[in-house]
Amino acid sequence: MLNFILRRLAIAIPTILFIIFFSFLLMHSAPGGPFTAERSLPPEVLANIEHKYGLDQPLYKQMFNYVWGILTEFDFGPSFKYKSQSVNDLIAGGFPVTLTYGSWAFLFATIIGVTLGVIAALKHNSWLDYLATGGAIIGSVLPNFVMAPLLVLLFTVYLHWLPGGGWEGGQAQFIIMPVIALATSYLASIARITRSSMLEVLNSNFIRTAKAKGLPWRYIIVRHALKPAMLPVLTSLGLSFVGMITGSVVIDQFFSTGGIGQHFVNAALNRDYSVIMGVTTLVGTLTILFNLLVEILYAWIDPRIRY
Amino acid sequence: MNCFIRSCSLIFASLMLISTAQAATPKPGEKLAKDQTFTYRMLDESPTLDPQLIEDVAASTVARDLFEGLLTQNADGTLRPGVAERWETNDTKNVYTFYLRKNARWSNGDPVTAHDFVYAWRRLPDPKLASYYASFMELMSVKNAKAIIKGEMPPTALGVKALDDYTFQVELEDSLPYFPAMVVHTSTMPVPQKVVEKLGNQWTKPGNMVSNGAYMLKQHVINERQVRVRNPMYWDNENTIIDKVVALIINDENQAYNRYQAGELDKTEVPTGQYKRLKKKMPQEVHSNPRLCSYYYMFNTKKAPYDDIRVRKALSYAINRDVITRNILGAGQIPAYTFTPGATANFHVPDVEFGKLTQKQRNAEAKKLLAEAGYGPGNPLKPTILYNTSEGHKKIAIAIRQMWKQALGINATLENQEWKTYLTTRHQGNFEIARAAWCGDYNEASTFLDLVRSESDQNDGKYNNPEVDRLLKQAKTMEDPNPNYTRIEEIIATEFPIAPIYHYTGVLLLKPWVKGWPHHNVEENWYSKDMYITAH
Repeated sequence: MLNFILRRLAIAIPTILFIIFFSFLLMHSAPGGPFTAERSLPPEVLANIEHKYGLDQPLYKQMFNYVWGILTEFDFGPSFKYKSQSVNDLIAGGFPVTLTYGSWAFLFATIIGVTLGVIAALKHNSWLDYLATGGAIIGSVLPNFVMAPLLVLLFTVYLHWLPGGGWEGGQAQFIIMPVIALATSYLASIARITRSSMLEVLNSNFIRTAKAKGLPWRYIIVRHALKPAMLPVLTSLGLSFVGMITGSVVIDQFFSTGGIGQHFVNAALNRDYSVIMGVTTLVGTLTILFNLLVEILYAWIDPRIRY
Repeated sequence: MNCFIRSCSLIFASLMLISTAQAATPKPGEKLAKDQTFTYRMLDESPTLDPQLIEDVAASTVARDLFEGLLTQNADGTLRPGVAERWETNDTKNVYTFYLRKNARWSNGDPVTAHDFVYAWRRLPDPKLASYYASFMELMSVKNAKAIIKGEMPPTALGVKALDDYTFQVELEDSLPYFPAMVVHTSTMPVPQKVVEKLGNQWTKPGNMVSNGAYMLKQHVINERQVRVRNPMYWDNENTIIDKVVALIINDENQAYNRYQAGELDKTEVPTGQYKRLKKKMPQEVHSNPRLCSYYYMFNTKKAPYDDIRVRKALSYAINRDVITRNILGAGQIPAYTFTPGATANFHVPDVEFGKLTQKQRNAEAKKLLAEAGYGPGNPLKPTILYNTSEGHKKIAIAIRQMWKQALGINATLENQEWKTYLTTRHQGNFEIARAAWCGDYNEASTFLDLVRSESDQNDGKYNNPEVDRLLKQAKTMEDPNPNYTRIEEIIATEFPIAPIYHYTGVLLLKPWVKGWPHHNVEENWYSKDMYITAH
């Protein structure tokens, strides 16, 4: 097992380097640059700005300096747009925000999603199943950019229960709507995967054997069915978790949370090279780590899986 | 105003001390609210709050509260003293001397002196700072600015000096009568040298920032909020009423409207397309004010057939501006027949010929012109309109395509591009007709007309008319440049390097208890210190 983990971590390093290299090339191949503006800058002014940010150097040199900065000082460089912020500052400021509402959303989606999925499977073809499945379908067709305004209309404009946005250090009333808006579609997909996986497990031979042995139903579900039914759910949870804790452009922009989710889109539109590479590297690294974690969990859940 | 920024600056400056109200002045009988907090929507996070590095409107608004330059503006946009109590100029109007008030203080208690201005002004063109607005110093004609930007001279060579602690003098390359109107610009505001040099680019963070305006930066959470509070050291603090100003960063205009409805905001913008409905629903809160901005289509005059005046003229004539302003925009926008908006100070809108015709006459003329240029059913013109991806621009482009089709029988192609891609295409001249817009940097017609100067960096259509260049150059030093501006507008309305479409209005929602909002300031330069909140 340790060998497996070390091997995977060893592969992770070139993978991350490849992500950096590839996103660097991709960003630089997009037309325009961080300083392209409606107001064309006089050539001498543009030259001064490009010199300040090292954009006047050959691309390979910029690339080398960038990677060198990361490797030696863990410095992802200055933001090209936010003049007094470095990429590290932006991530340090925004990541705790998305990590907070993302983790809550993850917990919410997982607990409710798995519960709904299990209930639907256990009460297969009953009104409970139809309700849960119907709810899951509605949830999955309600993207967060529809959910968010609906929540605001209800809880802010009509009921005056919750503030329409902001973060204020992460007080509960500011977190509720982002969590619900972000969690809904994940919740729906977790419920659907759990339901189908649970149904499959419940129809399998070892459950029939357990039943035949006269084990209590609750014991069969908790002890024998739930664990194997979680395998496919786990696969989706790993990636969902990364998706949730790195935020969403819709949630961040709509609720003005100050999270890093919006940088994925805005930094690309602004050609803020260092920020887009910083957040891409962050997501890349987290994805690799959580995929590894999921694989380790596989072995724990399913004794047949050994590395 | 005419007298003000042109010939009588000396006399006027001394008069102004008596005539201008400096701070918020509630009307008799108005009861003030206990909580003097003004909360407004900010569209986007400001890239920086460093006056010399600011490049966007939102940050300029914040900077006007945090810093105070030599002069500021009254509610109607006219100038009033800021740190400078008065100023004077020589006969040739190439040396301006500003006399600073002695009671101006930085938020750390240090006096604001002429040396602070010298430092800030030298900092702007310094290649080391690499500011977007470096060339504003050149635009203001300050001596040696261009050479400094190019790195040919040190920043100390800039034509500014402190005659003593409270006298700041600027030497210009040439006479510039409207120079005082330009020192309102954010990039000319002072910065605290010691703090900037000690903290580098971290000096603008809350806790670090030392400022000389009516407010200080209290909190700044990127992409969430900026909070500023009263600066007890500000020289006019006792006449300031608003205690706290909160800018909430809300990208989505509809979400901002929701939060306005919920009472979280005192001010936001009217969401696109909702002006008429909201004006009916809450007439007291919806305002539409002219702004110093123009929306236009730019022709690539180096690309055939747009190098033919007749083609450009025909296409411009066939745009029904009334339909665009009334039916598509519908928020009080003004149909444009000149490039410079009528709201510009001292600018008399000339009666250009095509503005006087009916649309039917314009269409008939356009058809004739196009035929003369050799285009007709046998040889149809196939223009391509380039615009950046946006619903608003798309609607206008579709309408114009339809107008051209009906009036001239031509089929235009619409091409939308993502913002930076569009800008690159435009700057490189790879377009036929491109959507564009321009907002004035200062309240004077040259801020618009300079765009059709052959050497202008903004002249993406590469229009080149030596007469326009000559008129512009001459206008810079004229007591009354209006005849030149009128002539340039006439040339534009004859040769159409651009097709003006409409002049903007600022459409905003403002709670009725917010008083002192400068509705008549076409640059939308507002100062929180001039406002107050009544009891509600």
